[in-house]
Amino acid sequence: MTALQGIKPGALEGIRVIEVASLYTQYSGKMLAELGAEVILVEPPRGSVNRAVPPFIDQQPGLDNSLAYNYFNTSKQGITLDLSNPKGRDLFLRLAGKADLVLEGEKPGVMKGWGCGYEALSRIHPAIVMTSITGFGQTGPWAHYEAEDLVALATGGFLYLGGFPDAPPVGAYGNQAYLGAAMYGAVASLLALTNGEATGQGEYIDVSMQESMVMALENAVQFYDLEGKIKKRHAGEQRWAGTAVFECKDGYIYMMASGIGANKFWPLTLQWLIDEKMPGVERLMGEEWHREEYVITSEAKQIFAEIFSPWVKTQNKRYLFEEGQRRHIPMAAINSVADLLSSPQLAYRNFFIDMPHPATGRTLRMPGPPYQLSGTPWRSQGPAPRLGQHNAGIYGGIGITADELATLADEGVV
Amino acid sequence: MSKRKPLEGVRVTDFTWIGAGSYTTKILADAGADVIKIESSARIDSLRLGAPYKDGIKGVNRSGYFADRNSSKRSITIDMKHPEALRLVQRLIDKSDVIANNFTPGVMDRFGLGYEAVRKMKPDIIYLSMSMQGATGPQSSYLGYGSSMASVTGFQQLTGMPGREPAGTGTNYPDHVPNPCHAAFAVIAALRHRRRTGEGQRIDFAQTEPMVTLLGPTILDLTVNGHLQEARGNDHDRAAPYGAFRCRGNDRWIAICVMNDAQWSKLCRVLGHPAWMAESCWMTEAQRHADRVALSERLQQETVHRGAEDLMQALQAAGVPAGVVENTEDLIKRDPQLAHRGHWVPLDHAEMGPTLYNSPPYRFTNASVGLTRSAPLLGEHTGEVCRELLGMGQEEMNRLVAAGVFR
Repeated sequence: MTALQGIKPGALEGIRVIEVASLYTQYSGKMLAELGAEVILVEPPRGSVNRAVPPFIDQQPGLDNSLAYNYFNTSKQGITLDLSNPKGRDLFLRLAGKADLVLEGEKPGVMKGWGCGYEALSRIHPAIVMTSITGFGQTGPWAHYEAEDLVALATGGFLYLGGFPDAPPVGAYGNQAYLGAAMYGAVASLLALTNGEATGQGEYIDVSMQESMVMALENAVQFYDLEGKIKKRHAGEQRWAGTAVFECKDGYIYMMASGIGANKFWPLTLQWLIDEKMPGVERLMGEEWHREEYVITSEAKQIFAEIFSPWVKTQNKRYLFEEGQRRHIPMAAINSVADLLSSPQLAYRNFFIDMPHPATGRTLRMPGPPYQLSGTPWRSQGPAPRLGQHNAGIYGGIGITADELATLADEGVV
Repeated sequence: MSKRKPLEGVRVTDFTWIGAGSYTTKILADAGADVIKIESSARIDSLRLGAPYKDGIKGVNRSGYFADRNSSKRSITIDMKHPEALRLVQRLIDKSDVIANNFTPGVMDRFGLGYEAVRKMKPDIIYLSMSMQGATGPQSSYLGYGSSMASVTGFQQLTGMPGREPAGTGTNYPDHVPNPCHAAFAVIAALRHRRRTGEGQRIDFAQTEPMVTLLGPTILDLTVNGHLQEARGNDHDRAAPYGAFRCRGNDRWIAICVMNDAQWSKLCRVLGHPAWMAESCWMTEAQRHADRVALSERLQQETVHRGAEDLMQALQAAGVPAGVVENTEDLIKRDPQLAHRGHWVPLDHAEMGPTLYNSPPYRFTNASVGLTRSAPLLGEHTGEVCRELLGMGQEEMNRLVAAGVFR
């Protein structure tokens, strides 16, 4: 293995994960795989629902064409298996017998009904960790309810906080509920594996997507608990004077001139406005502008907007971002996706990676490492698997011969 | 036998403050790590001065915003500008497995606690730094909060309504889920590597990068298809109706997600088969999606006369994904599922009394994971940590107190 010499190890090297393909688990599996775990994605013989998620390459649906599938399943090996078939169950149990972690997102009771639940797994492999991620959790009055991303944003209280006061609540973009549950599922799984390595003990973990979104409410729950106030959506309004979205010449910026406890960025902001000789800036010079109690008033917000808005509309967002930051003000450009691709910062950090797509021969440019670990770097282990791509190798590893595999395929098990 | 906590025996010297950093070390603390938060009244964690406060009365030990993010931790106060501070922190690092911060790059170096310096003190340390855009690159010195990260990453622009200014989520979202989960995951992974090899390492964590990784499919739509996605309200790629619809009452809404034609039939049935829903123009998903604006308007004329809770129950009984758009009062007082899971944990706090905390959103069967104590008062554990952990005698304590180190 000379080619591998000098390559740093993965932090999760030696951990074997079986992921029963689902929208809930796919990002968990990716996180584990890209820090070094061996992740085997188990799909039904006709492919998982994840392959039907838009957007598609050239807008053409097809087993290999979902960009979401191709992104969230990199670095995994793929096999097919019908878990609802008794022979499929037996194969699953044999695979799980050699695994450290099973990730699944079936409805509560489904895995058990197939004979693949935690009790069955732990009987043959007491140290195994099983993580189940579902909409509302395994038990309770809503356990069997139908969940969807927006339903979890809603019942988690996150949806109520988003959007404009004069319009319906608007949810977080991009399946954040599924992804949030997946992230917590990954953290919990790693905690259980840590405990298992110390004690030899197995674990069963129950993750709720609804509850994962409750974690996103910032201080809204405490506002109700401590002060009896129900926080509402407020897009389009300044949170404090100077802390808001402002329209500029070529888009929008998000500026934080004040707020969050100590009002420490106010003097720097004021100096900028003075240096730019904004008409009316003297109206911002009173000591009351240093107090949160004042900058949260409508009067303060209105005065600030009257002075700042006409000027900021004449400036472009890149200049505002760089100049604001040069002055140590938390100024941010509201970037589009296209801006990310031209970001000098992300480019410097080699953030985007080019992933081959064997089915089309194309290259897919996608996000790479979410963190940089010096000793055990994040590493892609290759493109998302094609359907059943690793059947021969994985099943061979548990003693299934090529002939047996062919028979199983004929029977529709794999 | 009491259940073991997964991170029992792990100690964190915690310089994180405000948002994502504190939420990261909360995950570790709730899982059993001994997280010792280094604070100072000379440089107060601004979340301690962030609303809301118990009974609306401001005070460094009264913020609910701070409390929820700092469960299960200990707090000591050290004035890092004091000449004796570094030596003291070094003793703590010597007993720690992880050191964490979320300052802009350079601050830890000014404390004498840059990575190389800390590695000399403790070669196997895991050093987590969570700056806004990472420790390297032309914008590494930039500063920001959760909303800044949401903006820079494209997430703010994508969350909102077409044709209006970018709305965002109304919160500092990257602080609450993406960054804490990724950072905690990386630390726990690094701890595993350390157990196996004895090696520590540096984790350079840019608080923008996890959020961008979550937008992968959207980025691929541009890099592969040349298609630039924009804000689209609650619209789904293919399914309709899919959105939030007004119900009876003051600002009451229900989320309804019809994911296939069978669910459309069920929705029609639950709503009592209104004539317009039987029209052939709504038969297929493609038709409904193409005309989704008109569809949503008509559907809302049905929901607006219904109670959100009752409609949710009726739709769920029929197998249609639906949920009340819950406000915080709903979540705490009425949601039976969160109550069943014991999500809201009341913890007694020395100054605030009993207040609610978030439990982690996962339940373990064998190990013990969950809150062990309410948030610490500012410097509550200074004496305890110095005596019991650092083995400091009373004489030395008195000298350091007199010298003003523990500010």
